[in-house]
Amino acid sequence: MRTQRRRRAIVAALRGLGAVWRTAWAEALANRRSFVVQMTVMMVNDLVWIFFWQVFFRRVGSVRGWTVDDMMVLYAILALAAGLVLGALANLRWLGPLVANGDLDSALALPVDPLGFLALRQVSPVNVGDLVFGIGLFLWLGHPTPARLALLAVATAASVAVLAGFLALLGSLAFLPGTAGAGELGLSAVIVFSSYPTDLFGGALRLALFAVVPAALVGSLPAELVQHPSPAGLAGLAGGAAAFAGAGWLSFRLGLRRYTSGAAWTAL
Amino acid sequence: MTASTITAPGRADHARDLGAAYARVAHAAARATRAQPAALAHTGIHYLIVAVAISSLWTRAASGHGGTIVGYRADALVWYLAATEVTAIAPPLRLIDRLGADVATGRFELELLRPAPAVWIRVAAELGTAMPRTAVCTALGAGLALGVGGAPASLAALALAGPALLFGVALTVVAQHLLAAASFWLRDSRASWFLYQKLQFTLGGLVLPLEVLPGGMGRVARFTPFAAMSYAPGRLASGHLEPGWLLAQIGWLAVLGLVTARVFAAGERHLGGGEP
Repeated sequence: MRTQRRRRAIVAALRGLGAVWRTAWAEALANRRSFVVQMTVMMVNDLVWIFFWQVFFRRVGSVRGWTVDDMMVLYAILALAAGLVLGALANLRWLGPLVANGDLDSALALPVDPLGFLALRQVSPVNVGDLVFGIGLFLWLGHPTPARLALLAVATAASVAVLAGFLALLGSLAFLPGTAGAGELGLSAVIVFSSYPTDLFGGALRLALFAVVPAALVGSLPAELVQHPSPAGLAGLAGGAAAFAGAGWLSFRLGLRRYTSGAAWTAL
Repeated sequence: MTASTITAPGRADHARDLGAAYARVAHAAARATRAQPAALAHTGIHYLIVAVAISSLWTRAASGHGGTIVGYRADALVWYLAATEVTAIAPPLRLIDRLGADVATGRFELELLRPAPAVWIRVAAELGTAMPRTAVCTALGAGLALGVGGAPASLAALALAGPALLFGVALTVVAQHLLAAASFWLRDSRASWFLYQKLQFTLGGLVLPLEVLPGGMGRVARFTPFAAMSYAPGRLASGHLEPGWLLAQIGWLAVLGLVTARVFAAGERHLGGGEP
């Protein structure tokens, strides 16, 4: 009986979050022309990066064992993860300012998980361009086969979990005083460093790219899983994804205890 | 007295007054930027993140090719990238977006009421904002290049890289104003910002020396203002004593300045309902 009630509550919460997400997509698509223009802008931006990598590897051949094929897979995964997290869960990026400004009131009054609600409440058309580009890039230059597509899905899911968890963690820092700006810098660091093979970096920086700013878990390791699948690689990636996703969720829950309302009922 | 009746000494006074006004605006903007050390630190850290990542890529690539690639040694590449990235990160970001939004919302029209050309007041303010940011990024870049790359290949060339960086930042600011002028007619300059960024990225040699570009693209890129913005300070900082780049920068500054003035004048007439 209790299990049944809990299941019903979970289904209702998921339905609620689904409705929030549908609304966010409907809002983003309301101006269809602007949506397409913004998406296209990002896709051309991504294309310039592909041009850079093609030119670079044509000149150097390979760097620390990374070839142009590896790089295309890395970029496809990064584009997919960025598209899903910064595009489809756009508010995660703005979690810090929302917390710092005391703008969570309306989310806290709803019968759904506040972090889930906030994450799903906004869609960023420009980053949805990344999502489309990532799929297109893999189909174009990623040597797609059914098995590789399945690996891509797993690798992308892990990358999304790490990136989303890391952004939630950064956003939750705003519950503490004196941490303004950490969110944008953290996002900048994880996106910049995950755009390059982790093998380029050594020493403490390399360690930091696994544990502090998890760029290695967003870009390089997922790409290696697709290019050279191994149980150890999968386990490491799954562990990292679970750790960062859990840390993000937990830090937000703990942070809410310190939350001070801005006494402003804002539309998120 | 109308503009047409201003005498030669009067014109000189007017120009001197305008110059002093621009200097005051730039000075105030620089002071405001310095008064926000957290924001300056933010810029510096962002610069370091980008510079460390891209220079790691090129130094590893060079070391895999016997230490030299497209004529640049690994240490020279670090100096090159440390300089080019200053020209991209030090100028206020998304300037085109902001200016475009101000034109679209009518805020820029209010600035036309001032007794000095609104565009140059804006340019002065943005340059003032950019200067402390340039100083921070340059200091960090020099530290990075010394620490990772080692001593510069040519102190004379490095000395020229200093003014080249300032000219590069100035060119970036003026060019962004020019592209933002699209919003006088299009009412949305976001595409211009994007276009500008990508042109600086490729034709400016921001993350790859122009010598790497395929076919004749690199040769053509040298004759664009984007090369004068980023490649020029990079080339000098990497030890290539080519003072001609400074002349190219001054030339491009004059050309872009003239074109910007003309385009803004046309845009302001358009806002006022006149020609064109």
